[in-house]
Amino acid sequence: MSDAHVQGNTLPRELEKATLEGRNKILGFWLFLGAETVLFGSLFATFLALRDSVMDGPAESELFKLSMVAVATFILLTSSLTSVMAIQAMHRHNLKSLMQWLIVTVVLGFAFLGLEIYEFKEYVHEGHGFTTSAFSSAFYTLVGFHGAHVVFGVVWISIIIGQLRTRGLNVVTAPKVYVAGLYWHFVDLVWVFIFTVVYLMGKVG
Amino acid sequence: MMSDQGTGQAMDVVKRSKAHEGPRNHIIAYALSIVLTALAFLVIYYQHVLESWFVYGFLIILAVVQAVVQGVFWMHLKDRGHLQQRIFMIGGCIIAFTALIMALYWVWW
Repeated sequence: MSDAHVQGNTLPRELEKATLEGRNKILGFWLFLGAETVLFGSLFATFLALRDSVMDGPAESELFKLSMVAVATFILLTSSLTSVMAIQAMHRHNLKSLMQWLIVTVVLGFAFLGLEIYEFKEYVHEGHGFTTSAFSSAFYTLVGFHGAHVVFGVVWISIIIGQLRTRGLNVVTAPKVYVAGLYWHFVDLVWVFIFTVVYLMGKVG
Repeated sequence: MMSDQGTGQAMDVVKRSKAHEGPRNHIIAYALSIVLTALAFLVIYYQHVLESWFVYGFLIILAVVQAVVQGVFWMHLKDRGHLQQRIFMIGGCIIAFTALIMALYWVWW
């Protein structure tokens, strides 16, 4: 940490874009995010097409509890802000603050996952299993895929925190932090559409 | 530790450092997101006094606005030198939207 401070004046502010490799990593990651958009778009399309095919299983309006969805939304939204704060700390070359904000982000990610697991358990309890109906399969695939992204995100960011601890902040670790931040924002962005299209629209009518 | 790559970027550094931005924009984006989310939940709460086409339309607009706010401020899509990034994301959205139309067309017609 003291290293980063001593060299703070000579290092570029946006350390993640200091090398061509770093810039290429970020650009390549955006291409990946474009592909992820297509993937989630297809899952949303499937869900919208099948949302009324409930067979004998429970329908959306009797299943969803909006209070829990509101809490989950708030948690994920806040974690997106804390990952922004982490990037800001990185631009100030403040390794300690960067790691603290990343840890807060991971903790919020785990809180979100806990809520989602509890929610799915509750649904299965009410007779809404993966194979209950076309609606339930589409629901679990879409929301579960987003949950899997959150799992991947918390594991990924945790590993990066470990690397920052052992290797410090430099032109190799900075692009990793930045790219993980982009990923985390994207996961939050997908959730905006999930709570709108799946949960809120499921309550309309 | 990193002196071997420093000199070439020196000019670049001077140019970039003036673009220093504080957390203000990011906090505004967060507050906006909270307000848009609250509005969406509010619309559902009052849906019995509203037309259903209005509820659907309003929810979609709120979600798109929030997505744009977060993309522009948190993911820096507004910044200079992000043209390729914008092309990737807009391209992804166009293909995703096509898939959506296709699925709905197949199943509902």
